[in-house]
Amino acid sequence: MLKSLRSFGLAILPQAAAIAVTMFLGFVLVAAIADEPLLAYRELLFANFDSRSNFALFINRATPIALIAVGIVFAFRAGVFNVGGEGQLYLGAMAATVVALFLSDLPGAMLLPLCLLGGILAGGIWGWIPAVLKVRLAVDEVVSTLMLNFVALLFTSYLVNHPLRDPEAYGALSRKVPESVWLPSIPGLPNASMGFVAAVILAIISWIVLFRTSWGAEVRAAGTNIRFAEAIGTPGGRRVIEAMFVAGAFAGLAGALYVLGIGHRFEQNFSPAYGLVALTVALLARVHPIGALLTSLYYALMLNGAAYMQIATDVPRSLVVLLTGLLVLFMTVRLRPPRVVG
Amino acid sequence: MSLTAHSEPLASIVEEVRDTGARLPRTKPKPAGDAGGHILELLGISKSFLTTRALKRVDLQVLAGEVHVICGENGAGKSTLMNILNGIHRPDEGEILIKGQRVEVGSPLVASRHGIGMVHQHFTLVPSMSVAENLFLGRNPTRYGLFSDRDAMRRRSRQLIERYNFELDPDTPVNRLSVGQKQRVEILKALAFDAEILILDEPTAVLTPPEVDELLGVIDILRKRGRTIIFITHKLREVKAIADRVTIFRHGESVSTYRITEVSEADIAHDMVGRQVFLVGRQDDPESPRQFGEDLLRISGVTVTNSAGRRLLDQVSFNVRSGEVFGMAGVDGNGQTQLAEVVAGLMPVQAGRIHFMDSDVTAAPISERMKLGLGFIPEDRLDRGLSATMSIEENVAATNYVAAGMLKSGFIDVGVRNAFASDRIKEFDVRGATLGQPVGWLSGGNMQKIVIARELARKPRILVVSQPTRGLDIGAAEFIQEQILEAADNGAAVLLISSELTEVLSLADRIGVMYNGRLPQVLRRDEADEKTVGFLMNGGDASTP
Repeated sequence: MLKSLRSFGLAILPQAAAIAVTMFLGFVLVAAIADEPLLAYRELLFANFDSRSNFALFINRATPIALIAVGIVFAFRAGVFNVGGEGQLYLGAMAATVVALFLSDLPGAMLLPLCLLGGILAGGIWGWIPAVLKVRLAVDEVVSTLMLNFVALLFTSYLVNHPLRDPEAYGALSRKVPESVWLPSIPGLPNASMGFVAAVILAIISWIVLFRTSWGAEVRAAGTNIRFAEAIGTPGGRRVIEAMFVAGAFAGLAGALYVLGIGHRFEQNFSPAYGLVALTVALLARVHPIGALLTSLYYALMLNGAAYMQIATDVPRSLVVLLTGLLVLFMTVRLRPPRVVG
Repeated sequence: MSLTAHSEPLASIVEEVRDTGARLPRTKPKPAGDAGGHILELLGISKSFLTTRALKRVDLQVLAGEVHVICGENGAGKSTLMNILNGIHRPDEGEILIKGQRVEVGSPLVASRHGIGMVHQHFTLVPSMSVAENLFLGRNPTRYGLFSDRDAMRRRSRQLIERYNFELDPDTPVNRLSVGQKQRVEILKALAFDAEILILDEPTAVLTPPEVDELLGVIDILRKRGRTIIFITHKLREVKAIADRVTIFRHGESVSTYRITEVSEADIAHDMVGRQVFLVGRQDDPESPRQFGEDLLRISGVTVTNSAGRRLLDQVSFNVRSGEVFGMAGVDGNGQTQLAEVVAGLMPVQAGRIHFMDSDVTAAPISERMKLGLGFIPEDRLDRGLSATMSIEENVAATNYVAAGMLKSGFIDVGVRNAFASDRIKEFDVRGATLGQPVGWLSGGNMQKIVIARELARKPRILVVSQPTRGLDIGAAEFIQEQILEAADNGAAVLLISSELTEVLSLADRIGVMYNGRLPQVLRRDEADEKTVGFLMNGGDASTP
């Protein structure tokens, strides 16, 4: 136990150091431009914890990032560079909305699982398509997932602007989903969606599945060397496709949970590029599900903290873009590994 | 050659190619053993990496115009020394003398200014560019000092190629060349930089046997032209074939230097390993001839056609009995790769049947064949054999999760898996293996041991082994060959595919020779000698030699 704690500590040491250096450099920068650098930094880091409502917003911000990032971990482990998180998210959100609006007569206990299932399937299929193209026809997945994003965004945009548009609302919004499928709040945290709890549980399950089951071992074998995976008797191509379905399903679930827990309707442009943020998060977390969960918390903290900082002081919120850039830089720094003697 | 010539390599290429071979070599080769002709001396070189002492006060003296082979097992320090010579590493102590002058080699650029050119094992060519463009990369001749003069480039390339009889077309894109041809481009590149001393780092590791012979021919041409060659290898056959002198490294020390005429292969092997080497073999005991059991593997009329309609395997039929090693010899590319994949179940066949014991497995996937007792050791450990970035224990466990009881109600029992991996590592003496490390951190020989440990752990009844000792040093090869023979003695039917003729001849009970996808003949061990098999390998017919 002590040994595993120690190795865990050693494993996250570089990440912790990178965050520390980034925050320090950020502080130097803020001190150079702001009248009240301490206040600015306090807002950035701690305003999220000032009130329960701030904390709830923070949790809600982290949820979609965490879910998509954990999904992208599956894709990366299967050797697929999934840039399509955004499209999978939108389709998941749209599917959940459509199911909730068209089957609104069903009781909540039946409708809620159907909405979630709809989101999972829609996102999953949007991950499955580029995976099949990649495995069967060697279509580069970066191109196909990126392109499918546009298809999904424009398609959902059409739906929410025309057939599903709420005539009484201002802007491209769908009608509200029935209250029976709204997710409950986390006890003691009004407005913080239960979706976050789902994200935490799913991150842990993902770790077990990837690293403690033979399916996970086969996915990782296929992802690191698919010809090896075939030679040890596993269906490598099928594992890649399955993992991409899971990746899409996670993003789709994130969309569904956003609609059911936070937005309660489909909003055009509801995501500030969560799909791409999650890609960065997954990479910074060294493609580890638990790491992705923690990193998404850090990202949410910075994103929301920046808004508070801009309100309270004269530091612009775009500082965060700079900080995250620095963070990526420092996270990817490697101390020179010991040379192999040959 | 004066040092000023190096500052203008282009000018001297022109000078060099103007006379295509008619002129006498510029540096006259001195006879081996002439103490006055040291073009290069390394004295008391030491180098440590962290806690490892890679080189311990190493001495090396190279005569002008000789082929000096540096020989030693993996990890003996050969590559480190060459990297010091080429300016990639700096020595902790010791000095380098070139033509008697003490020099500091701070970078590869400085090395090339001193006339040292290095041909790395892994090529540094631009695949999409032509041979000529690669030769003149970064220093192409220009017209009006602005436009690249492609005609001049092509002309000079052609002259350079002709001068060394390299048989290359300067206009071919490099990605269409064979491995052997690419290597020649790489050598020419070093020569175009006016390298007097050419270092070849294990150049034959990537080559097929006929390409090796061609390379040895190329080196002979270079020697005749007065270049000094340092040739790193651990293959004894090459040492004897090409060297003027040989220096043997062991554990970071230079153990001995011999003139090649004064030394036997066995002496070199002894110095490399530090003990007497017993090259394993399948000696027949006339008192009690080896007993074989029933046919475990039966291949009949197997045919594989590629998308272009060419027959990669053409009506191949043979059986392998329990306890028998069936050796498949042949020049690479005659269908052996396909044969291994077909028997393993990784490639579909167009015609013919494959039986494991009594089951027809022609259409069965590899997973099913493994359940029937297949062990498969692929020809390239980093291609199909291992996943380099996954950990050692996961690579060892990969095909043994079920058989070794590592799954508890669907989940991997990490304790059982790690214990299993530790046992295999101990049993197969895998050096430098720590659980949790990526398997790619191990040396080639130890990686191969991991593959073999994994496949033998299931006690296979049918073992398909492809090129098991390719690129390995003597010690590791010896161990692996013993393991293969032991598997056969335990009753497995072993199909051993190897392009190392000596390996097939010493291990196999029966020998087949693949040529052009066909297996015309199977020889008994007592019928097969190097001459007959070599004849068959080149497409001859053994009944009418």
